[in-house]
Amino acid sequence: MKTFLSAAVLLATVVPPAAAAELTVITAGDQNMVDYVNEYLAPIFEKENPGDTVRAVGTGPGDAGSQKILERFEAQAGAEESDTDVAVVHEKFVGPMVEKGFLKKYRGDISTGKLVTSDKARMALGTDVDGYVMPMFASQTAIAYNPALVENPPRSYAEIADWAKAHPKQFGYNGIKGGASGVSFVMGWIYAFGDGDAKTLMNGPFEESQTKNWGPALEKLKDFNTTATLTPGNAGTLDMLGRGEIAMGPVWVDMFYSWQADGKLPPEMKLLLPAPGMPGQPMHYVIPAKAPHPKLAEKFVELATSPKVQAEGIVKRFNWYPGIDAKYVKAELDQASWDKLFKDVTPEDLAQYAKPFPIAPYNNAILEAYERQVAN
Amino acid sequence: MRERLTGLLLALPAIATIALLYLMPLIASMTGAFETEAGFGLGNFVKSTELYTTDILYTLMIVSLSTLIIAGLSIAIAGYLTLGENPKAVAILRWLYRWPLFIPFIVVGQVLRTFLAKNGLMNNLLVAGGILTPLQTVSFLDWRGIVIAFVWKQTPFVTLLVAGAMASIDRGTIEAARNLGASRLRILIEIVVPQVRTTLLVGMVLSFVTMMSVLSVPLMISAQSPTMITADIAFRINAYGDYGVANALGMISLAMTMAVAIVYLRLNLKEKAK
Repeated sequence: MKTFLSAAVLLATVVPPAAAAELTVITAGDQNMVDYVNEYLAPIFEKENPGDTVRAVGTGPGDAGSQKILERFEAQAGAEESDTDVAVVHEKFVGPMVEKGFLKKYRGDISTGKLVTSDKARMALGTDVDGYVMPMFASQTAIAYNPALVENPPRSYAEIADWAKAHPKQFGYNGIKGGASGVSFVMGWIYAFGDGDAKTLMNGPFEESQTKNWGPALEKLKDFNTTATLTPGNAGTLDMLGRGEIAMGPVWVDMFYSWQADGKLPPEMKLLLPAPGMPGQPMHYVIPAKAPHPKLAEKFVELATSPKVQAEGIVKRFNWYPGIDAKYVKAELDQASWDKLFKDVTPEDLAQYAKPFPIAPYNNAILEAYERQVAN
Repeated sequence: MRERLTGLLLALPAIATIALLYLMPLIASMTGAFETEAGFGLGNFVKSTELYTTDILYTLMIVSLSTLIIAGLSIAIAGYLTLGENPKAVAILRWLYRWPLFIPFIVVGQVLRTFLAKNGLMNNLLVAGGILTPLQTVSFLDWRGIVIAFVWKQTPFVTLLVAGAMASIDRGTIEAARNLGASRLRILIEIVVPQVRTTLLVGMVLSFVTMMSVLSVPLMISAQSPTMITADIAFRINAYGDYGVANALGMISLAMTMAVAIVYLRLNLKEKAK
């Protein structure tokens, strides 16, 4: 009898509950995204849901990674069930996914859904995605500068242009072929100096006539480039800043803080977000309409967007801006970590000057106009 | 007849492999270059020349200049290996010069990116040595950086070929010139180099073609404007998903390497005729 009992106890602890499932999470982005799911989120989720496991699959960095996820959903459109429970994709690809009906409208079903009030959860580069996405984090570009060399940092694009003219070769950026921080600087330049309305560029609709409005702005940028330094890549700008070869340049905020934390960048360096704003972009959690474990997927996203995880994982570990509203995250965060992230660029700056990228057709048109007019 | 058939059958797998893995993609990319939204046409080429003429000339300039410098350096190194009189110096040089051969282009790019920067290792050494002041330093991360990377990586390859050829020429001609009092430099230029001319040219052609196809070095050192065609091709695809113009640019660089390849084939034929 005793043996039977202990065997039963043993069985009960070993055999997982009936609903045991493997949750598949696919994510675009660098290896750090896969590591984040595997090493941080999965253990917490598996502890809260005994028996269930999480499997993370990376599809590669940059837009190409999200493109692969979109193509995967397209390929599975005819199938009865998708092989994916949760996907993490770039903003640019959420619109097409919603339009083609690949996604589940789930934000209203989870408790953290109401913790996001910003526009980025409603519109994605001109497409209405309200309800279909939960922002995982927001990455933002800003201008990094060396206070030892820049006493009165410029506060707007116009002031940056003047400053760069007065300090030849001290402003550095990576053009448009060396990574997105340079692209973002150029987009901000068009927002600031283009003749059209920047809001149209961000929200659409696309009109060919708009593309004629950038001539003078690009002419000015060409002139600007003669006094600026062109750096080799996102990391190249930070490298040159760290070695004191340039005094100022556009960078990704999370990269900037990570480099500082690793000691690759002096702690004195500072950030600023100039008027009228620079682009940034969120990455979104989405759930396919035909996800094999929809309830579990919602639970997973709920955990990932809970204030605690957003504070510990997103802000503290990766220096990203939280996906949900910052005020909910603040309560879960120690003052030092909060101050670090919002010291230079305040939440008010972010509200005012953090802009989305232009919608895809304008984005491409601006890049090509840059190649034609500035780089040629 | 039967033997012929067997021969053909034996060669068939090889031919099929080449057709499937090499010719088909090449043809697809060639026809792709003429596909535009409005149907077949020259639109992609027009756009390529509009946007990238500077880059095309820049590429040609960088690669040609690098090839010439590589030729000069490899003659100098191989010449010393053949004619050098200090056995220790020859042994050290022989051991040293091959190193870059085993280092991938991307690593060369990465190493030079920090070495050649304005406040990089090279300038820091020059400043520490009192040769330059910090204000005089300049960054070499532009066309010069690309040329340095190419020369550094490709010189050993050409040297290897040329030194081999020099080792196999008739020592008698060198000894005779030396007996008549010719200096070593004169022997190198007038006796040795003419005898290894074909090998040298082959090495230069192969280097030219290799350098035309390198993406990592321009990306790591200077992907700004102007930049090399390979960086533009990558950008067309990654930023716009525009395979048409990328294919057209590919065709243009193919035309450049073809011109050089023709020289190579001619030399090859000449060699065979001998």
